[in-house]
Amino acid sequence: MNATFAALPLSVPLRDPAARGRAAWVLAGLVILWPLLSIGEFHPWVLFEARNLKVVAYFLAGFLPPESSPDFLRELAQATLQTLAIATAGIALAFLIAVPLALLATQALSVSRLGPGPGQPRARWLRRAVRGLMMILRGIPELVWALVFVRVFGLGPTAGVLALGLTYGGMLAKVYAEILESGDQRPVRTLLEAGSGRLAALCYGLLPGSAQDLTSYTVYRWECAVRASVVMGFVGAGGLGQLMDQSMKMLNGGEAASILISFLLLVLLADALSSWLRRLLANTGTGNSVAGVSALALTLAGALGLAVVLSFHLLEIRLGDLLSWDAAQQIADFFVGFFPPDLSLAWLHKVAQGALETIAISALGTLLAAAGGLLLALPASGRYGRIAAAATRFVLNALRSVPELVWATLMALAAGLGPFAGVLALAVHTCGVLGRLFAESFQNASAASRNALIESGSPPFAAFCYGTLPEVLPQLVAYTLYRWEMNIRMAAILGFVGAGGLGQLLYVELSLFHYAQASTLIAAMLLLSIAVDSASAKLRSMMNR
Amino acid sequence: MKLSRRSAFKVLLICVFSQLSVQVLASDVLRVSAIPDEAPTELQRKFTPLGKYLEQQTGMRVSFVPVSDYAAVVEALATGKLDLAWLGGFTFVQARIRTVGSAAGAVIPLVQREEDARFTSKFISADPSIMTLADLKAKGKNKVFSFGSPSSTSGHLMPRYYMMQQGIDADKDFKNIAFSGTHDATVAFVASGKADAGVLNASVWEKLKEEKKVDPAVHVIATTPPYFDYNWTVRGDLNPALVKKITEAFLKLDSKNPQQAEILGLQRATRFIPTKKENYDGIEQAARSAGLLK
Repeated sequence: MNATFAALPLSVPLRDPAARGRAAWVLAGLVILWPLLSIGEFHPWVLFEARNLKVVAYFLAGFLPPESSPDFLRELAQATLQTLAIATAGIALAFLIAVPLALLATQALSVSRLGPGPGQPRARWLRRAVRGLMMILRGIPELVWALVFVRVFGLGPTAGVLALGLTYGGMLAKVYAEILESGDQRPVRTLLEAGSGRLAALCYGLLPGSAQDLTSYTVYRWECAVRASVVMGFVGAGGLGQLMDQSMKMLNGGEAASILISFLLLVLLADALSSWLRRLLANTGTGNSVAGVSALALTLAGALGLAVVLSFHLLEIRLGDLLSWDAAQQIADFFVGFFPPDLSLAWLHKVAQGALETIAISALGTLLAAAGGLLLALPASGRYGRIAAAATRFVLNALRSVPELVWATLMALAAGLGPFAGVLALAVHTCGVLGRLFAESFQNASAASRNALIESGSPPFAAFCYGTLPEVLPQLVAYTLYRWEMNIRMAAILGFVGAGGLGQLLYVELSLFHYAQASTLIAAMLLLSIAVDSASAKLRSMMNR
Repeated sequence: MKLSRRSAFKVLLICVFSQLSVQVLASDVLRVSAIPDEAPTELQRKFTPLGKYLEQQTGMRVSFVPVSDYAAVVEALATGKLDLAWLGGFTFVQARIRTVGSAAGAVIPLVQREEDARFTSKFISADPSIMTLADLKAKGKNKVFSFGSPSSTSGHLMPRYYMMQQGIDADKDFKNIAFSGTHDATVAFVASGKADAGVLNASVWEKLKEEKKVDPAVHVIATTPPYFDYNWTVRGDLNPALVKKITEAFLKLDSKNPQQAEILGLQRATRFIPTKKENYDGIEQAARSAGLLK
C-alpha cells in the first residue's frame, strides 16, 4: 500500500490514517484463522498432485456423452416430477404450520401491547415461547429432520415433505411475523383500539398492505424448496437427489451429467415461474379494481390448490396415516428415545471436536468465497469492459448453479475425503453467489468519491480501496455474514457425503440407533445455528452503526 | 364474489380431505425390502424374478420398496411397515433388539444362503505400497480408509472388529475414515483414490471381479475370518401360515430348475438353508465389543 502511495504527488503525510486499526483487525483475523486452517485440513497443494488431477479428469471425461438410454430417462423424469411434488407439498405443509405460528408471534396483532394491562406478561411469554419453537424448527437443518423422519415414517418422500414442512414452516413463520411488523401499523392499531377482533384486524388492517410481500416471499421459498428437496434425496427421501447420490458415488459420469442437466433445467424453470408469479403480483397489487384482483387471486389459489393436491397424490402420501393416533404415538415413542441426551465428557469432547470442524469448514469456505467473489466481482461489475463482464458472469452463474453436495463429491475426488473437500465445495458454490451480489453492490455504488480521488491523481487501485470500498464494505460484509450463516448449516450437512464435521458423526450415530448420542449432536447443531444467527445479527448491527 | 370465493375454498377443502380417506388395504400385499448394500438399480434387478416367484408361491401381490438407508429398513420392519426384509447380520441383531418384548413380538429369521454361514470381508487398496494389514497400520496416519455403510456387517462391523483384534483402532489410526454407503461404492472410492484403502463384502467383490468392473490396480490386502451374515427375516406378527409358505418357497429353490437357477444366481446363492437367531450371537458380541451396540 505504501508503495502505491509514494507515487502520489502530494505533500500530505503518506500514511493511511486508519492503518493502526486495520492492522489490528488483520492480525486478529489471522490469529483466529490459524487454528481454522489446521482443523479444516487446509492443504491446497494436494489439488495439484498428479494422481488427483488424473482422477478428476477421468470422472469429468465420463460426463460426455450424458446418459440417454430410455430406461434411465424414464427414471429421471419420474425423479424430477417427484422432486417438484416434494417441494410443493412441503411448502403447503410449511404454510399450514407457519400461519398460526406467525399470528401468535407477531407483535403487530398484540392487543396487550396497546397499553398496560393484566395480560401483558403472559402474552410476552407466549410470544417468546412461540419464537423459541420457530427457532428450533428452522435451526435444525432440513436434512436432519429428513433423516429422522425416514426412520419414523419409513421409506420414501413422506420424510422429505415433513422435513421441508417443519424447517420451512419455521422460516416462513419468522419472516411472516417480521413482514407483518414492518408494514404500516396504523390501520391495524386503530382497528384493535376500536375493539376489533384479532382476525378481523389482520384481514382488514394488515393483509391489504402486506399480502403482496407475504405471497412473494412464499413463492421465493418454494423455489428454495425445489433445491432443498434435491438435497434431501441424498438421505433417501426420494427424488433427483437419491439418483444423483448413487451416480456420484459410483462415479458414473454420464448419469451424473444427465441428472445435473435436468436439475439445472428444473431450477431454471422454478426460477422463471417464481419471478413470473412475483411480477404478476407486483403489477396487480397496485390499485386495480377489487374484482380483478380477486379473480386473479382465485385463479391462482385454484391452480395452487390443484398443484398441492396433485403433489400429495403423486407422492402417495396418505395424510390420514400421518394424522392418525398410531402415527402420533410412534412419533412420541421415537422422540422419547432421544432423551436423555448423552452428556458424558468423552462424548461431549467428540461433539465439540465435530462442532469445531463444522465451524472451521464453514468459516474457511465462506472466507475463500468472499475473496474469490471479490476478485470475480470486479470484472463482473463491468470495470474491465463488456466482454470480461459477460464472461465472468457466466462463470459465476455456473459456480452457483451446481449444488454444494455435488461440488463436495467432485472436490472429494480432487482433495480426498475429509474437511478440506467440504471447505472447497462451500468456497466454490458460495463464490458464485457472493460474486454476483458483490458485483451488484459495485454497480450500485456512487462513483463520486472514487472519481474525486482519480481526478486528484490517485491510481485506480487506491481509488478503489479508498473511494469505492468503504462505501460498499458494510454491504459486502453483511452478504458474507449472511452466507456464512447458511454455510454453517450446509457444512453440517456436507458430512453426509464424507466431508467431516457434525454431519458425519450424526449420520453414523443415527445409523447405529445411538439416539442418546444423536440427540447431543442435534442439540449441538441447533446451538451452533442459534449462536451464528445472533453473532451475525450483532456484527451486522455493529457495521451499520 | 363472496359466495364464489367461499365455494372455491370449500372445493379446496374437499380435495384436501378426500386425500385423508384414501387408505390402501395392506393385507393382500406382501411388502418386501432389502438393506441397500448395493446400488438401488442393482437391488431391483436382483429382486424382480424372486418377487415374481414369491407372488406365485404365496398367492399375494409382492411389492418391493427400494431404500437408500439401512436403518430405515430396520425401523420399518420393527414398526410393521414391512413384512419381509433381506437383512445383514448386524441389521438383524439391531431389528431383534428393537422388537424383543414389543407387542408384535421379535422379528423371526427364516432362511439364509448356504454361503452366509461362512461369510468374509475383503480389505482392498489401490496403493502399491499397501500390500498387507501391517502396511496399512504403519502408514494409516495419512491415509483415508473407507467402510461401506455404518450399519453394514461385512462392510463395517466385522472388519472393524477384526482390525481391533489386529491392533488397529479405526477411529485413531487413520487420517480420516469415510462411509461410502454401499459395497460397490467402496470399490469405486478405492479405485479413484478418493480413499486409500477400504473393505467390502467378499460376495460383492467376487461379483465385481467376475463382471470385470474392478480397476486392475485394486488388490486384496487381507480377508477376515468367517462369520454368519445375511438372512431373510419377517416381522414377529406375520401370519404363521404365510411365514411357513415363504420359508418353504425359499428352501424349495433348486439350481437344477433353470428358472429357479436364475433367481439363485442373482441372489448369489447355491441354495437357501434354514437359520436361527443363535447364529447371530457372535455378531452381537462383536458389535458390543466394537462399541457399535450400547
